[in-house]
Amino acid sequence: MDRRSFMLGTAAGALLLSAKGLAFAQEAAGTAPDLASFPRNETLIIHNPEGVIRNPAWFNNWVVGSGSGISNGLHQLNTDTFWFIDPDAGIEGASENAIYNSLADGLWEYNEDFTEMTVKLKKGIFWSDGVEFTADDVVFTVEKHKATPGLSQNGAYNAQVETVEAVDPYTVHFTLKGSNSRFHTLFSVRWTGAWIMPKHVFEGVEDILSFPNDPPVSLGPYTLHSFDPNGTWYIWQKREDWQRTALGMIGEPKPRFIIYRNNISADNRLIEMRNGNLDMVHDLSPEATFSIVQQDPEVQGWFPGFPYAHPDPTLVMAIPNHQNPKFQDKRVRWALALMLDARAMSMASYRGAATLSAISVPPTGTHPRDYHAPLQDFLINYEVDTGTRKVKPYDPNIGMQIADMVRGQFGDAVPTDATAIRNAFGYGWWKQDVAAAEELLTAAGFSKQGNQWMMPDGQPFAFRVMVPTDGVINRLGSIIAQTWAQNGIGAEVEAASDTWDRQRVGNYDVNIAWAVESWGGHPDLSFFLDSYHSEYVVEPGASQPDRNWMRWKDPRLDEIIEKIRASDFNDPKGIEYGHEFVKLHLEEMPNIPIMAYNVFSVQSNRYWTGWPNAEKPYANPVTNWSNGRYIFTQITPKA
Amino acid sequence: MHGYFWFVGKRLLQLLAVIFCGISATFFITHLSPIDPVEQVLGRLSARSNLSPEAIAATRAALTEMYGTGQPILTQYLNFWTRLLRGDLGPSLLAFPTPSMELVTRAMPWTLGLLVTSTLFTFVIGNLLGALAGYHPENRFFQAFGLIAMGVQPIPYYIVAFILLIIFGFLWPVLPISGGFAMDVRPAMSWQFIFSILQHSILPALSLVLVGFGGWFLGMRALVSNVVNEDYVTYAGLAGVKKQTIVGGYVIRNALVPQLTALAMALGGVFSGTVITEQVFNYPGIGSLLIDGVNYGDYSLVLAVSTVSITAVALAIFIVDLLHPLLDPRVRTE
Repeated sequence: MDRRSFMLGTAAGALLLSAKGLAFAQEAAGTAPDLASFPRNETLIIHNPEGVIRNPAWFNNWVVGSGSGISNGLHQLNTDTFWFIDPDAGIEGASENAIYNSLADGLWEYNEDFTEMTVKLKKGIFWSDGVEFTADDVVFTVEKHKATPGLSQNGAYNAQVETVEAVDPYTVHFTLKGSNSRFHTLFSVRWTGAWIMPKHVFEGVEDILSFPNDPPVSLGPYTLHSFDPNGTWYIWQKREDWQRTALGMIGEPKPRFIIYRNNISADNRLIEMRNGNLDMVHDLSPEATFSIVQQDPEVQGWFPGFPYAHPDPTLVMAIPNHQNPKFQDKRVRWALALMLDARAMSMASYRGAATLSAISVPPTGTHPRDYHAPLQDFLINYEVDTGTRKVKPYDPNIGMQIADMVRGQFGDAVPTDATAIRNAFGYGWWKQDVAAAEELLTAAGFSKQGNQWMMPDGQPFAFRVMVPTDGVINRLGSIIAQTWAQNGIGAEVEAASDTWDRQRVGNYDVNIAWAVESWGGHPDLSFFLDSYHSEYVVEPGASQPDRNWMRWKDPRLDEIIEKIRASDFNDPKGIEYGHEFVKLHLEEMPNIPIMAYNVFSVQSNRYWTGWPNAEKPYANPVTNWSNGRYIFTQITPKA
Repeated sequence: MHGYFWFVGKRLLQLLAVIFCGISATFFITHLSPIDPVEQVLGRLSARSNLSPEAIAATRAALTEMYGTGQPILTQYLNFWTRLLRGDLGPSLLAFPTPSMELVTRAMPWTLGLLVTSTLFTFVIGNLLGALAGYHPENRFFQAFGLIAMGVQPIPYYIVAFILLIIFGFLWPVLPISGGFAMDVRPAMSWQFIFSILQHSILPALSLVLVGFGGWFLGMRALVSNVVNEDYVTYAGLAGVKKQTIVGGYVIRNALVPQLTALAMALGGVFSGTVITEQVFNYPGIGSLLIDGVNYGDYSLVLAVSTVSITAVALAIFIVDLLHPLLDPRVRTE
């Protein structure tokens, strides 16, 4: 054998070995799909924002931290629970007050003191293997979770459920460990929820924590068709008996196949949508969105024009740490708010495509109807005492000003109608009033030396502003710190990769994040507000329960929370209590609400039409929400 | 011969020491990370759901117990070595309870296939052309190559990859831009599967070759430029030795010794993967796996990837050390 033959032989051998190695490593693969059998008028292709799914063949999503995919179709198409609460308005006729009865046949029924809850279940719902769904599945789910640390709701059920019983095959009765008027929200999907397990599958499993549940038996209208052994795509196929599912009872999901593709970089998403290989994209950058809607008339966002993005029911804010003595005086917190320039924050973070909120309720879903609009007069007349005078800081026209600022670049895409501008850009925000801010600081005992504010103890007023390492929140935090620094405060940006861990233990000065998330379509604020109760505030360094990251404590706040706890979820007084909370928040300014977390979700009308949007807000278009399942009943293939 | 075994023995001890120190350092660095895997899981669990503070506290306690993160760090260190000596690197914390080595072995063939191939290809082409360019400094063809190499070399890798993505994914969409193989191909020992892998690896490999070529080319050209002026090359020429023999046997062979050392290092580094390539082309591999491990505070996974990488680099250096006396008689004499 000559040297050339040897080299060629070696190369060919290496190629075969490599292929064999790859084939061996991918052995978990399901049957490969024939793409020719997925005609586009029957197939919906969705971008799932998850990265590589590290445990691709794992479908037991009741195990915590298993590395399985969640929004790969599993929690949109395969799982179900009692109720869904839509972040937007919900489908008219199928939902009421944005609440869908899914597996439940009606709303929750509590006893008088909220220590017991009864749920009536729908009849005629079947798992995909033909077994009927009954109350026994619910009882099994709760009891199995209570007995198994490591399952997702182990803590929740143990903390709240005394007993659960099947009164009959279609009635479940919970006895709670204490009064809890919001226990039903555990089974109410907002992004995700407590999913019901198939008893007939799991009761024979000895170690549930190591059971992959592959393939999963489905309670939704789709079953798993195939998936990528490297964890980047999943294909789901509509069940023949889709009518025997809760979603099917609302309407027929139109796509026969739904493909979820994940781990697609931002650039590739743009290209794949332009090439017709994606129908729904979870998010793009603001700039990419502006570009694709201009270049491709088939692509749409939430708003028909600028700012296009869907406002999530999540409120981004500047969160000062109340356990840091620097931020314990509300005059200081108000001063920090009045130094900020809403227009600059909107432009720097979202290129103007931000939806502002001056109050501590997201400007999304039905909240503008229940909170922002009714409180406008109160806000316009709201006064802040600076110590030397009273100022009215609210500017109801900031949204209009931002619309005018971006009109030069985006022209007719920017709305001109006042209502449309309010919906898209927000109702208003605080005027930048540096003079008032300086008066507030002075009243709080601060003094200015040169261009540096000094605290009452003579030390410079300096702190760090914690932001994630990239994205719009990073951009927002940077402009906030810069604005404060320009006005004599020693604010420095601190980009951290572990912001979540640090905000939990209070290891920050000012944090740019969200401490408010709400249902969106329903006015109840308990989703975030209940955790604001002072009983949950912990010592510095200890792990703080979610959302009250600023560690705000106030007996008046506790009183409002306790009134909400004592009232029914649908009690109209809930909005009244919500208004009380907003007013108390304004008085104390415990954090500085800024804008909704806008997601630049886009959809293509090339193959499918009927997407939700600001004019028809029947569902949240952000693809990783389980609530998005209702979209599939409303879209139709393009003729 | 006795001296050679003594030399091998010493290098072997050094190899074991390097591996032990490297893995220990990785263990302590990962465990000193402020990222707590329990909090990461809790964050994902509670961020968008309606868990009460009591439920979160109970879940935190259960996870801390399951993951063993509440134990003193020295206990964890001893447990780690005990398990490692049995070949067990523990369960991944981001894909619990899947063994972390299972994740590594799933991703590793992709990284090796792409990087070994592109590194060897770049090495051969870059050094061959670099040697010829060094030996024929007046040749315009090789001068043009030198200009291209110097022009491409400073361009950030991401830009090169992105340009390829735009050209072949959008402007002239003839090549796949995502994944390791097509959705409709079943992984098996089939020509269809091999073809699909090759097709999907063209853009990632091309980006690596374009950026990597210049370094080898310029390095080899400089080395050869020096070697051609050595006395023994001049003497060989005067003695009438054939030009081909001088280039292949005298010039390239001698200039290649430091390049082979660099190749060994580059091949060892392959085990760390290439994060940007995987990100841009959504290509499977060990780089993004390592990043996920770091971001989620998954000590086990980071340690598994690092253990493989440290061992590979140390072994590569060890092998080069052993081969050096065989390749270069001067080292043998020393």
